[in-house]
Amino acid sequence: MVQEKRILYEHLDVPNINTFDVFRQHEGYTRFEKAIAEFQPEELAQMVWDAGLKGRGGAGFSTGEKWSFVPRDIEPRYLCCNADESEPGTFSNRYVLEKNPHLLIEGILICCYAMGIETTYVYIRGEFTLGKKMLDAAIKEAYEQGYLGENVRDTGLNINIYSHPGAGAYICGEETGLIESLEGKRGQPRNKPPFPAVQGVFMKPTVVQNVETLCNLPFIVGNGVEWYTQMGRTYGDTRFDPPKADPNTGTKLYCISGDVNEPGVYELELGLTCTELIEVAGGLRGEEVKAVIPGGSSAPILTHYELDTRLDFTSLTLAKSMLGSGGIIVMNETRNIVDCLLNIMKFYAHESCGQCTPCRWGTPWVRDIVQRIADGEGRQTTITRPKFGVTESGRWGDTGETEEIYEDLDLLENVANNIANVDTMTWNTICVFGIAVSWPAVSYLRKFRPEFEAAIRDSKLVTLSVAEATVPPEENYAYQQRFIPKEFAEIQETTED
Amino acid sequence: MSDEIVQIETPFQFNEENKQEFDELIGRYPVKEAAMLPTLHLAQRQEGYITPAVMRYVAELLEVTVMKVKDVVTFYPMFFEEPVGKYVIRVCHTLPCALRDCKVVLEHLKTKLGTDIASETNLAKGTTDDGKFTLMKVECLASCDVAPVIMVNDDLYKNLTPEKVDEILEQLPN
Repeated sequence: MVQEKRILYEHLDVPNINTFDVFRQHEGYTRFEKAIAEFQPEELAQMVWDAGLKGRGGAGFSTGEKWSFVPRDIEPRYLCCNADESEPGTFSNRYVLEKNPHLLIEGILICCYAMGIETTYVYIRGEFTLGKKMLDAAIKEAYEQGYLGENVRDTGLNINIYSHPGAGAYICGEETGLIESLEGKRGQPRNKPPFPAVQGVFMKPTVVQNVETLCNLPFIVGNGVEWYTQMGRTYGDTRFDPPKADPNTGTKLYCISGDVNEPGVYELELGLTCTELIEVAGGLRGEEVKAVIPGGSSAPILTHYELDTRLDFTSLTLAKSMLGSGGIIVMNETRNIVDCLLNIMKFYAHESCGQCTPCRWGTPWVRDIVQRIADGEGRQTTITRPKFGVTESGRWGDTGETEEIYEDLDLLENVANNIANVDTMTWNTICVFGIAVSWPAVSYLRKFRPEFEAAIRDSKLVTLSVAEATVPPEENYAYQQRFIPKEFAEIQETTED
Repeated sequence: MSDEIVQIETPFQFNEENKQEFDELIGRYPVKEAAMLPTLHLAQRQEGYITPAVMRYVAELLEVTVMKVKDVVTFYPMFFEEPVGKYVIRVCHTLPCALRDCKVVLEHLKTKLGTDIASETNLAKGTTDDGKFTLMKVECLASCDVAPVIMVNDDLYKNLTPEKVDEILEQLPN
């Protein structure tokens, strides 16, 4: 069985690790001191790039590369720490904030030093009252100990950290939405470019990083790039091995929830398979895995047949899904996919910020269609086309070919694809919320079509429930055969063409 | 016109403690407007909900138009424009909680409190007659490992069953 590799979470359960003294006893702030003593800011930025650290918030963009876009000649520059953790299925940042906030502060300090930043805003979602309280207390302690404020530890650096509460809007987790919200406006994302690295908060260059990304920095500095790059995927024999030029290094805080025996956060090296992760989390609660959502509710679903996909940024992209924020939701054979999709679509219809028309009108429309199907009122017609052939009387004539048309399913896919097209990966909205809606909608429909068809056909006129599967698993399996992923080699061949 | 209804509203002002906190807040940002969300949180904590007087007061403090404050208040679900109960119960009903039977918890709360679920535009619907509780459904509270969860004001309660809900409600002081 895969062993947990606790780096970020190593001291999480040490009593009183949230206080400065205890944190200090566990190498606290020594990595920051090392960074100041041994490295120039540019060297640090290069180190982070070399370590191959990818942003843990969702997009998986190289952190070092992002930092390189920030113009170093425009003052002031800002750091925004994204602690607006609201993707369903994700809960790792909450534990960092509540139990080990000094680790985040140390990460912020290193980032500030590397980028020459003086002011940091930590945008915490409004519901994290305990997390904010703990972080505020830790910030206060750090000021008292001289790690924050003017002339930090006699180095001449001025670094300030402020926590900023959100107010319950999911869209503020999007980086430009976060920036707008931080400026005291509605959290409606901005058009990009200009990217935040050039014009971010208060129209100044801004680095926006997730909590987990920043928490990785002390360990990269403390133990070196080589140590860091040794963690992460090993090039094994499973299909979907990504090209070596794009390594997935380090550990990831996998949040696993749903139908497993021991849900929770598990820190593991990047690149283990779904099956292994379920095993680590105490095994499946139920008989068989029906589906797995690999990266928060906006990630396309993986079926029973795709469980040996490796959970890292590159492999999941090749499997046409994403690691996202690392929130894995497992569903067992008793779950009803139509109702699961309905639940997710209600979430997105509620959270659409209302800025772009396709999303504002499209998300409630998608929700209504799924609601209709779940209520057993899905639309369906039978059409008869003329077809030349041997009729019952033994003569040539019109035999009449009938076909079942599931209007609502076509409509669902059409509407979703017009918010954002999942095949071409283009979206008709300002931010990627559009794709976060159509990805689950289309992937659930395509991969579990028999269930949707059954819900329409049987018209039970009773509301479905997540806890009640209406289609025997075999029917889904027979259908899903066509989605069994191709060998990695084949994928490469097709992309090379 | 003489039959026009003149609504007299209670004026609003920060108390000493909040005024001090606000003064500290405002210094954090290069633009005053940026202190909008923390200021509104402070005001809501003091007043219970965001009244028109609160909006006017905040607008004045931050040197923005009242419309801009209203704009923000209507966008974020955590700001209330109507009175709410002393205890706001937020029940998470997103997928991970739904997979762990949050529906049972929600139904139990509904029968126990004898109220419906508040909607964003009608908070009174979910508020008990004695004004003690407001029951509302919210989206993911980022505690999916201990689902189902509810939040009562600022406190999170985990791994709920109807029995645990009863215990929690009993513990709350009047």
